[in-house]
Amino acid sequence: MNVEIADLTRRFGRNQAVAGVDLQAGPGVFGLLGPNGAGKTTLLRMMATVIPPTAGRLRLLDRDPGAYGPRREIRRRLGYLPQNLGYYPGFTVVEFVEYFALLKEMPAARVPAAVAAAVERVDLGGRARAKLRTLSGGMLRRVGIAQAIVNEPELLLLDEPTAGLDPEQRVAFRALLRDLGQRATVVVSTHLVEDVGAACSEVALMDAGKIVFQGTPAELTARGTEQGTGDAPLERGYTAVLAAARS
Amino acid sequence: MDDDELVARIAAGDDTALRELFGRHASWLAVRLRSMLPAADVEDVLQETFLAAWRGACGYRPHGACGGWLWGIARRQAALLLRRRGPADQAAAVLSAGQAADPPDLTPGADPAEIALARAELAAAVAALGPDGSPEREVWRLMYEQDRPVAEVAELLGVPPGTVKSRAHRARRLLRAALHVAEGGTR
Amino acid sequence: MNGLRDDGPPDVDLSRVWTSVAAQVWRRRPGWLERTATRLLRSPGLARALLTTPSLLLPWLIASIVVLAAGAAATLNSGQPMVALLAPAVAAAAIAYSYGPGIDPAWELSCSMAVSDRMVLLVRALAVFAVNAAFGLAASAVSAALGSPAHSATAAASGAAAAVTFGWLIPMTAVCGFALAVATLARSANAGAAAGVAAWLITVLSGRVASGHFAAAVTDTVLFLPYLAIGAVCAAVALFATRIPRGTYR
Repeated sequence: MNVEIADLTRRFGRNQAVAGVDLQAGPGVFGLLGPNGAGKTTLLRMMATVIPPTAGRLRLLDRDPGAYGPRREIRRRLGYLPQNLGYYPGFTVVEFVEYFALLKEMPAARVPAAVAAAVERVDLGGRARAKLRTLSGGMLRRVGIAQAIVNEPELLLLDEPTAGLDPEQRVAFRALLRDLGQRATVVVSTHLVEDVGAACSEVALMDAGKIVFQGTPAELTARGTEQGTGDAPLERGYTAVLAAARS
Repeated sequence: MDDDELVARIAAGDDTALRELFGRHASWLAVRLRSMLPAADVEDVLQETFLAAWRGACGYRPHGACGGWLWGIARRQAALLLRRRGPADQAAAVLSAGQAADPPDLTPGADPAEIALARAELAAAVAALGPDGSPEREVWRLMYEQDRPVAEVAELLGVPPGTVKSRAHRARRLLRAALHVAEGGTR
Repeated sequence: MNGLRDDGPPDVDLSRVWTSVAAQVWRRRPGWLERTATRLLRSPGLARALLTTPSLLLPWLIASIVVLAAGAAATLNSGQPMVALLAPAVAAAAIAYSYGPGIDPAWELSCSMAVSDRMVLLVRALAVFAVNAAFGLAASAVSAALGSPAHSATAAASGAAAAVTFGWLIPMTAVCGFALAVATLARSANAGAAAGVAAWLITVLSGRVASGHFAAAVTDTVLFLPYLAIGAVCAAVALFATRIPRGTYR
């Protein structure tokens, strides 16, 4: 089990962004669905050790992120793509990915090959030495994915990774996810329901800080047979579960 | 964009041009090297070849024979690899590259690595004549490998001598073309 | 990976070959400064983070040198210790701009890195302070050396001259600490810079009002202990404020 979460809570002032979440995840691709404001990003940020939980138990890669030493070990094996990733406009693609490879304390000798592999894997080999300010939004998103995978993480956290990618790139990205999910735990937070159906082996649906559904995409689809609205079966399951949770 | 322009851009430091060149040429270089070396060595030699191309692109004079230039670099890198390996591996390479029936003709002082390569090149070029049993291959085998006169070859194959001569002519032409690539001529 | 390279022999992995070629072609070779920093800090990531500090980049350094050189020239012309008055403000702005949120677009990501953002801030702040102190000292020494006849006439004891030439380091510590504390509390480098410069301006002006000359803020030795105390308190505040990394939102 790479992720073990028990009754996790996070408050900002009076607002409970995450209100008692239980989650267990091993290797594979794990989808996190939910409307805006459901708490997905906050949950992901806690898993990325960016913010500490207010209450509850969090164990990542068999370590406790509350202590400095284990947290550093977790972060060396972590890949994180935030929802809004800013870029250093004067850096090139390779320089950007290399910068974060170094900050993840990868052994310096392995960095050039790892950076080259990551850049090629997101299909930016033809723009490797282009400045980031010359890239489109979708390409910048792929640069973000490259820095997340450069250290071959055991825990990969992606917040809205397909924003700005065209359909062909999304297909390639899902194939990449499946490949990464063979060895690592990949958690993908998205509000695009179809991304989840294609790539994830397990799905959790969040609403108002709680998990209201956890299971396989097929099980989510099954929930939507009568009640849900939507064009695709998975969407119908999504809306059905949300409606039931709110009633 | 043709190959010469690509190499010019590589000389100017454009890494995307090197990537494009790799895309065009790595496969056939790999195939040719694979007939001489094991797979892991092929990867090493290819890597060194393209790095050498990256560093040495300014020395390339455009004459439409980029493939030959690359193959020349690859040969040298393969020879370097074999030399680094040592005499035992070189002997093995010589024996495996040559045909089993031929006696090794190591003249004293000859570089086993170079010989291994030369033999492998020749074998590859002969393979370019066509599959075993094709007309040009048969003529080549009988006339040049077994050194028989035209009349005898004509009788063995059951065709008129004129046909034997024209097939031999075609075989020489094909062989010249195949070996020319190896020596840096037009592709 | 595009399909340009999957038609070679089946047991030869051409994409792996290209990756090893690209690794050498694309690699960045760090300069001597970065290599030295790596050895000193024992961390290539920390060294790179240090050398990409906005207030340690060439444009900023040049601007600082220009401002201090102008200060030195003004000192020679007017007799007012302009360098001493300018240096703390320049340093305060520089230190505020070594802090992440507001100026570091990838701040959220930096908070998830093994090289912790607090470590980066500490190293950056110290380096910025040291560089600005060095610049200020150089400008001060130059103006003192060039203008020494005037100084020895007005300042009886060399102690007074020394106080003007070097004493501003102490208020500079306080102002820098204040700028950094505000920056970390407000989570904005701009706020920190503005606060630091404003606080220094107020200090200088109130010194003028209280004792009649601008240089009172740097030469009045009574103030030294309060300055250091303020610096220490502000450093503690900054340390506390960075205990939990905060993002740019929530």
